[in-house]
Amino acid sequence: MKNYLPFWLIIFVSFVIIFALSAFDGISIGSYKPKSSGMYDNLTRQRSISDDMPDEEKAISDSTAVAQQPVPVDTASKVILFIGDSMLDGLSPRLAAYAEQNGHTLYTVIWYSSTSERWGKSDKLASYIKRIKPGYIFLCLGANELSVKDIIAKRDAYVKKIISDIGDIPYVWIGPPNWKEDTGINRLIATNAATGCYFKSDGMTFERGKDGAHPTRSSAAEWMDSVARWMPLHCSHPIKMELPESDFGRPARVYVHQPDEN
Amino acid sequence: MEILQRLYENIADCLSYDSGQPMLFSSGTFWALFLLFVPLYSLLKRNFWQMVVFVVAFGLYFYYKSSGAFVALLIITSLFDWTLSRLMVRLRSKAARRWCVALSLTASLGILGYFKYANFFLWNISAMVNGNFQPLELILPVGISFYTFQSISYIIDVYKGKVEPVRTWLEYAFFLSFFPALVAGPIVRCDYFVPQIRENRHASRNEIYYGFWLIILGVIKKAVIADYIAQYNDLIFDAPGTYSGFETMMGIIGYTMQIYCDFSGYSDMAIGLALIMGFRLSKNFDFPYKARNLSDFWRRWHISLSTWLRDYVYIPLGGNRKGTARTYVNNFVTMLVGGLWHGAAWKFVFWGAMHGAGLAVHKAASPYLSRVGTGRAGRWFAWLLTMSVVAALWVFFRADSWSDACVLLSRAVSDFSLSYALPFASARTLWLIMMAVIIIAHALPTSFWDRAGQWFVASPWIVKLILFLVVAQLVIELRGEDVTPFIYFQF
Repeated sequence: MKNYLPFWLIIFVSFVIIFALSAFDGISIGSYKPKSSGMYDNLTRQRSISDDMPDEEKAISDSTAVAQQPVPVDTASKVILFIGDSMLDGLSPRLAAYAEQNGHTLYTVIWYSSTSERWGKSDKLASYIKRIKPGYIFLCLGANELSVKDIIAKRDAYVKKIISDIGDIPYVWIGPPNWKEDTGINRLIATNAATGCYFKSDGMTFERGKDGAHPTRSSAAEWMDSVARWMPLHCSHPIKMELPESDFGRPARVYVHQPDEN
Repeated sequence: MEILQRLYENIADCLSYDSGQPMLFSSGTFWALFLLFVPLYSLLKRNFWQMVVFVVAFGLYFYYKSSGAFVALLIITSLFDWTLSRLMVRLRSKAARRWCVALSLTASLGILGYFKYANFFLWNISAMVNGNFQPLELILPVGISFYTFQSISYIIDVYKGKVEPVRTWLEYAFFLSFFPALVAGPIVRCDYFVPQIRENRHASRNEIYYGFWLIILGVIKKAVIADYIAQYNDLIFDAPGTYSGFETMMGIIGYTMQIYCDFSGYSDMAIGLALIMGFRLSKNFDFPYKARNLSDFWRRWHISLSTWLRDYVYIPLGGNRKGTARTYVNNFVTMLVGGLWHGAAWKFVFWGAMHGAGLAVHKAASPYLSRVGTGRAGRWFAWLLTMSVVAALWVFFRADSWSDACVLLSRAVSDFSLSYALPFASARTLWLIMMAVIIIAHALPTSFWDRAGQWFVASPWIVKLILFLVVAQLVIELRGEDVTPFIYFQF
């Protein structure tokens, strides 16, 4: 037993520290804020959706209220800005194929591991809008925030900031492809997004890659196809999105940001 | 009360079987359980049978967490083979003993064949007769190939009189369900392992810390490096032909390092865990990418499988005792079996066949090579050629289909341009850093790693704690939302 004690104490103390870091989100060491292991959230999460959160169904029905009254498709060629997290690795080549087919120009900005908080805190979106002057914006954000506790208190301001940065430019926010129950990110986006601007991906079936989270390339292409089919019926500002002949395309330019950038 | 209820429900959730969440050595659930396991194990170690029962129960639970109800299959296999082995020693007639071996092999290979190869076999039959193939809804039990091979080697060794049959089922179940090696090897041999159970040796503090060191190395290889570089490699392999030649080449080199880090990282963790418990498992990897020919590569890669195939396929086929031509054929057939062991698909058969052919070519060319390649340039050329063959064959191993593999290889060669290097470096900086780290680490001499291990063992506890915490936080920082399974789980 005595041989094991020092080793056991080391792993016990490590476990306690990692657990504590997951319980107190605000802890930082200098400018470094350790990412949470999610251990505390996993142990204390509610198994059913609580009633004090916004009514998702209402929010979603609001944001898809134009379903009964399809809006005429804007057939003009657009400069499209597509921003978001690593999900864009799968979505962007398919959206690029749509852009090539329909005369749009696509610029993609992938910020790996990004969240609404990181986009909301940074001026990246405003800066890209100023530089590229898009006529249409697609976003795919939220996948890295499925487990954030008290999400509304923590992220509401950032989601609002992103939508405020977008301003009057028509947009579609593609919701995260849930691989587990979220703590409210879908509700939060649905509540804040303008009517007919939020595509809810939760509930769709995906073929996942080896990480169990990201859809495979072909599944991501089908995901983008679903967005394209949804747009003429439900989107408040549908643009020309005819089915492309090629499976994948290349954006005019891809900007990549690493997880540690601010 | 509500929080306690939630805690209870969530802990119960974590501890029950979830088909999408096998228990990995790098997961929080495993470490939480290991925290409980260590003190109980050290207390029960004083009494042999209490220790055996406890470790078997933990091993079976570990397997249940990864494979659910298939734990029953593991129990049945162990009961069946142990009973046959006990029966064999009582039988005087050689023919009757042979029947026991045949029965055991039929059962073991039958179960493995049904779960792993039935759909492959039916699909090929259907393709030959232009039928409408509907795959059977089969789930492959995790690690079945590993424990089946352990079980086969045990029965054959008992038949040949190389090992005494294990006295009790509990000891045999201990051997077969030993959780560090249960789901992805190394393939443990009875003659090496069972005496260690009976010895019931207490691990020294140095052994415990050296095991801890191996676990840390394994976690870095698997959960930090392999899982991170996999994110890019998967993009390349999921959409062959849509990336430039340079990017494709990087993806191929990336996968070559990923599969090494993934599998050798798992082996390091398994060996480390066993050492902490006082058991020695044999080395499974010996810097395989330092090999300068394919024979050397297979002496360094997945050593427990290579030696198993040598002892139970190659040598029974005649080995090198029946002439040169037959030696080549035996090599080829052995590697075909090795390829098929990895999976039920023609791409694995092709991968194995090419390695078999490569081994035969190397054996045939050996007399001439020794005259040509002794200088530094010759050694570099030999290494480069070996690595190119190994990396190119990994493409067939990983790609979804034969045609995808061909597209990837042709793209990497025909469209290769260094002009992509700078934009690639700026877009994939961390990926390149990870690759550089593992390539440099792999190139360092073995003595460096021995010294590093000794330094860790001798270091103060605070250093160990900080190192472990840094590695754990690195895993958390770099991981995707869900943990990537070990590549070798599927075999």
